[in-house]
Amino acid sequence: MQGLADLGHAYLSFLNPMTLAYGLGGAFVGIVMGILPGLSATLAIALLTTLTIKLQANDAILVLICSYVGALYGGSRTAILLNIPGTAANAASCADGHALALRGEAGRAIGIATSGAFVSTLFGVLCLAAFTPLLAEVALSFGAFEFFWLALFGVVISGSIVGNDPIKGWLMGLLGLFLAQVGQEGLYAHDRFTFGWDELSGGIALIPALVGAFGLAEVLTTLADPVERKLVDLRDSVLPRFREIVQYWRTVLRSGVIGVFTGLLPGVGEDAGSWMSYAAAKAASKEKEQFGKGSIDGLMAAETGDMASIPGHIIPCLALGIPGSAPSAVLMAAMIIHGIQPGPMLMIQHPQFVYEVVAMTTLASVTILLFGLFGVRPLLYVLRVRRAVLMPIVFVLCVVGAFATASRLFDVYVMLAIGVGAFLLRRRGYEMAPLVLGLVLGHLLDKSLRRGLVLSDGGLAPFFTRPICMGFAAVTLFTILLYVPAFRAAVAQARGAIAGAVRGLLARRGGS
Amino acid sequence: MSAQHEPADLTPAVELPTSPRVDFYGGCGWIAFGVAVLVGSLTMDRLERQHINPYTVPGLLPGLLGIGMVVLGTVLAWRSWRRGALRIAAPAASRDRHDERRRIGLAILLCGGYGVVLIGHGLPFWLASTVYVAGAILVFRRLSRDPQERRFTPRSVLQALVIAVATAFITQWVFQELFLVRLP
Repeated sequence: MQGLADLGHAYLSFLNPMTLAYGLGGAFVGIVMGILPGLSATLAIALLTTLTIKLQANDAILVLICSYVGALYGGSRTAILLNIPGTAANAASCADGHALALRGEAGRAIGIATSGAFVSTLFGVLCLAAFTPLLAEVALSFGAFEFFWLALFGVVISGSIVGNDPIKGWLMGLLGLFLAQVGQEGLYAHDRFTFGWDELSGGIALIPALVGAFGLAEVLTTLADPVERKLVDLRDSVLPRFREIVQYWRTVLRSGVIGVFTGLLPGVGEDAGSWMSYAAAKAASKEKEQFGKGSIDGLMAAETGDMASIPGHIIPCLALGIPGSAPSAVLMAAMIIHGIQPGPMLMIQHPQFVYEVVAMTTLASVTILLFGLFGVRPLLYVLRVRRAVLMPIVFVLCVVGAFATASRLFDVYVMLAIGVGAFLLRRRGYEMAPLVLGLVLGHLLDKSLRRGLVLSDGGLAPFFTRPICMGFAAVTLFTILLYVPAFRAAVAQARGAIAGAVRGLLARRGGS
Repeated sequence: MSAQHEPADLTPAVELPTSPRVDFYGGCGWIAFGVAVLVGSLTMDRLERQHINPYTVPGLLPGLLGIGMVVLGTVLAWRSWRRGALRIAAPAASRDRHDERRRIGLAILLCGGYGVVLIGHGLPFWLASTVYVAGAILVFRRLSRDPQERRFTPRSVLQALVIAVATAFITQWVFQELFLVRLP
């Protein structure tokens, strides 16, 4: 009952014009950033974190959540009209969305994206309200050993799922964990890898690092490629299509569940929710051959899967202090900047904050619906700006974003170094999400490992024998071993044998 | 011998996006970096004078990360070598590659010039930003393959200047005046 009262109070506290204006402003910036190919939700949140640094904590977090939801929603327009995903999460929408646009149904595709985004975000919000307090309660029993495995599990899973090559994903995770070790360590304030450079003692700040990895790297990528894509004309109505939500309710529900579930996995990103929902919809569809050629079912699945994963990513961020994706990592950093420490203690120190985040995410879904109803066509003008004009402007914002959090020029240099490094690594097939997760979880992994070893007096047994540790250790090691060819072959053989035995058993029962 | 070089064992679960040659050099780079991290961790102060618990030495996790990088870098390099990294010739130079490299070089130079030289050394933010934005727009228009866009006219120069001035002043106003955020 206390939870419901807190939730009601949170909703009421957001019903004032200024808060609504902040929400609409955040969603507007998010949608514009999402529409522009390559500019990601992560960059939108990172830049807005610095812009809103002087606002009240709740107003600032509201702006950031609205921009997060807005960016992913805006990215679908570019996928539909240009066949380029506005953000990585919209890649699955390209095939069917653009095929519909080429058939002269671009407005219909955008309407489906709007209605799917609205409904799935609300579904995710319900899960956020229901599961965050439960997960936080479980996490209260976590100690150093469990947090060690949780951090390692996050980096390993993120490296395995994001991108095409797990080896490169894990290497990026290790690099992120290493970068987090630079500066004064947490137990004895000893400088590590600072080479006598005082400015490195504070460590590598997350916001400048992410602005470099997602902002400058994208500016360089875009400026390196001189090809401008052609925009498909928008002729039909872009109004949201709730009739199709009813028609494809199974797809919406399935994709919503998949989106929230993938959101719970650390560092996996919204694109995983989108692709998995798309694959599941294709597997369940009676019109599989239509997928990739303008299937409404496919577009609905992709759009609902990625949007439902946003609240899903916020759940572990709030309850465990482990971000589900790169944008939620920045969101978590922003919460810390504003004096709210996400993690198991959040439900004890700021119990009302979880419900305020629920209310903020609900408001974010309403703002994207409003922009879907009234702002589709005007916002698309941003796609007509030439890249040679747009990218220098984006870089100016990157410099301001990197500088403004701590007013240090050093952070601008960090942004430049990490941006150029990230650009070169991305060209070689390395993904940034595991790096971000490593950077966020590095301190936790270091402290948990050393505290755990002190508690066990150097023994490794508690890392493998405590019940939750056993679960995390098994999944982490299994995930790594799955990329050893001999182990993979053995697993495939065992899976085949089990499937054969089950089929045989079912056949015998059917026969009798 | 042929069985030893059977590629099936080494095929990753999914398709790889870059060439074995690039990955081979990348793997060697990771090994070198991992060794450097490991050496840095081993030579790091163990704070024995402070009588700390030996299991909490500051270099513990960085050392393990260095070992991880060496192992994964070795796997990456070995896998690329087995996939013919040293047998495949480097791609021939082409106009596209040359153009791309020139654009990347100029973009890094312009961004670095703005972030390191123009910003934070006494020049007002609006002036530094105007110079950078106008310069970058004109340089990248000049590099365009469209002859119309490539040509400098008084109109195109004026347009770049107007965009640059507007960007600088709007950014300064929004961050500094509206949201009270300090600018470099």
